[in-house]
Amino acid sequence: MAQIAAPMTGRYSAGEAGLATQIAMITRRNLTVIFRTPQALLPPLIISVFFLVIYDSTLGEAAAFLPGLSGNSYLGFILPLSLVSSALSGSSLAAQNLVRDIESGYFDKLLLTPASRTALLLGPIVAGGFILGLQAVFVIVVGLLMGLQSATGMAGLLAVIGLAVLLGSGFAGFTVSAALGSGNAAVTQAASFLFFPLTFLTASFVPLELLSGWLKVAAKLNPITYVLEAMRSLLNSGWDMTALWQGIGACLILAIAMYALAVYALRVRTKRK
Amino acid sequence: MVNGEIIVENLVKQYPGNVLAVEDVSLQVKEGSIFGFLGPNGAGKSTIIKILTTLALPTSGRATVGGYDVVTEAEDVRRLAGVALQDIGLDPLMKPLELLSLQTRMFGASRAQAAQRASELMELVNLTDAVDRRVGTYSGGMRRRLDLALALVHEPRVLFLDEPTTGLDPASRRDIWEEVRRLNRQLGMTIFLTTQYLEEADELADIVAVIDKGRIAIQGSPARLKSELGNESINLAFDGRDMAEKALTELDGFATQTQLDRETVRLYMENAAEAIPSVVNRLRDVNIAPISLTLTQPTLDDVFLQVTGQRLRAEAQPAGALAADGEREKRGR
Repeated sequence: MAQIAAPMTGRYSAGEAGLATQIAMITRRNLTVIFRTPQALLPPLIISVFFLVIYDSTLGEAAAFLPGLSGNSYLGFILPLSLVSSALSGSSLAAQNLVRDIESGYFDKLLLTPASRTALLLGPIVAGGFILGLQAVFVIVVGLLMGLQSATGMAGLLAVIGLAVLLGSGFAGFTVSAALGSGNAAVTQAASFLFFPLTFLTASFVPLELLSGWLKVAAKLNPITYVLEAMRSLLNSGWDMTALWQGIGACLILAIAMYALAVYALRVRTKRK
Repeated sequence: MVNGEIIVENLVKQYPGNVLAVEDVSLQVKEGSIFGFLGPNGAGKSTIIKILTTLALPTSGRATVGGYDVVTEAEDVRRLAGVALQDIGLDPLMKPLELLSLQTRMFGASRAQAAQRASELMELVNLTDAVDRRVGTYSGGMRRRLDLALALVHEPRVLFLDEPTTGLDPASRRDIWEEVRRLNRQLGMTIFLTTQYLEEADELADIVAVIDKGRIAIQGSPARLKSELGNESINLAFDGRDMAEKALTELDGFATQTQLDRETVRLYMENAAEAIPSVVNRLRDVNIAPISLTLTQPTLDDVFLQVTGQRLRAEAQPAGALAADGEREKRGR
C-alpha cells in the first residue's frame, strides 16, 4: 500500500497552471477522446466529398453559361461551399464532446477543481477547430486530385483552410451554447442543423450578382456569403484584399456573437442554485 | 482558522414549487472524525452534500467547511475538500492515469507532480492492475474506487462521500470501508458520508445522524444511540398483530422503551435476562402465548425505527431498485 503524506491545505496552490496551459490540457484531453472514436469523424468527410463530386459533375457543365464566373473553373467556385458546409456541420464536434461530459458527470468533476471556466469552454472548441482543419485539408486534397488550381498557390490554399477553421470555430460557439443550455445530446445535434439554411441563403451555386429579390437581400446579410466570396476569390482570381478582409471580418463578427452567447450559457449552467 | 471541521447551522433548502428538501438542519463534525449521515432516499442527504461541497446554495442558514463559508468562500472550500458524488462522473473513453493527472494538474500541480500523484493514488485504491484499461471497461466497484481516487488528488482535509457503496456487491463494499477507515486513521482526514445502510454507519461512523424528511431525527455515537433504547431487548413474536398489540398493553411498564414491529413486541431495558421470568408470568396470567422469545442488543435499525416509525431495509433491496434513486438530481435541463 502506498503511504501518502499527511494532508495539507492547497498542496499545489503555489504553482497553479496558467490559462493557456489549462486550455492546452483540456484541448489535448478532448483530442484524445475524439481519436478514440475515429468512426465519428468519417461521415462528415464522406458527405463533404460527396457534395463536391455531385455539384461539380451535375452543375460543372452548366457553369460555362454563368456570366459571373468569367471563364473560371466551377470546381474553384463550388469547393468553398463544400468547405463551408463541412466546417459548419463539423463545428458540432466541440458541442458533442461537451454534452458527453455533461451527461457522464465528468463536467461537474472538472467544475469542482479551481480550473478556469474559460478553459473548460475553449478546450473543446480548440480541439474541434483542429479537427476542422484536418477535414479542410482532406477536402482540398480531393479537390486538387479533381483538377483544382489555386490562383494564389499554396499560400492561398492555407488561407482558405484558415477561413474554414475560423468560421467553424465561431459557429461552434453556437452549438456549444446549445450543449450547455440543454445538457442533452439530441438537442445539441438538432441545434447544429441550423447551419443548413445559412449555406443555402447565400450565393451557393451561382455568383451573388445573379441572385435577385429577397434571396439577394438574405445573401447580403448572411456572413457566410462573405466567407464564400473570400475563398472563391483566393481560388479563382487572386489576392483580393477587400474580399479577404470581408471574409475574415464576417467570421470574427459571427464568432464574437456566438462566444458571447456561449459565455452566457456557461454562466447559467455553472450558477449555483 | 483553517481546520478540518464542518459546522452546519440552521440549514434550509427549498426547491422551486415549495419543495422543502432540508428543513433546519444543524450539526457539527469534529476534525478527524467520521460522520455518518443516515436516511432513506429523498431524506435530503444528497442536497446537504451538494450545499457543503459548493455545488448548490442554501436557501437560508450557514455552513462552514474547515472554517470556510460554503457560500462566500467556495473556492477555498473546493481546495480543502474532496468529494465523490453519488453519480460517478468518469469519462468511459479515458484511461485512469489520464483522468487522475488531468484532475491533479487542474489543482495546479506540475506535470511531474501530477504523474507521481496519479500512480500513488492508483496504488492506494488498488487499481494498478487496470492501469492500461479504459474506464468504460471497469466494473462498478472499480469505478467507485477510481472516483474516490479522483476526490483525493489534492489531498483534501475533508472528504465528502455521497452513498459511496450504493449498488456495490458486499466484497466491493468492504473494500471501500477499508479505504475510508485508512484515510481517516492514517491521514486524519475528516470524513462526511451519507448512506442508507445501517451496517455501514454502524461500522464506520464515530457519530451518526438520522435524517428523515429533511430534519435530523436523532444524532450521537452509534453506541449511545443504541444504549438510549436500553442495553438489551426482549423480543416476543406473536401469532398476529392483534395479539402483539394486546401483549404490548399488558407489558407496558416492564421496559424503559417499547416497540411494536409488525407482529413482534420489543421491550428495551437495562437487565433483560432478569426480567424474563416476570414477563413470561405476566403473559401467562393474561393467557397470551408468544411464538418465540429472544434476547438481543439493539441495532441501529431499531434506533431508526424508534425515531422515524419505519424500517430502513435498504440491504434487502436489489441493486437495480437503488439505481432508481429519487434523490438524484437530473443533470440535463
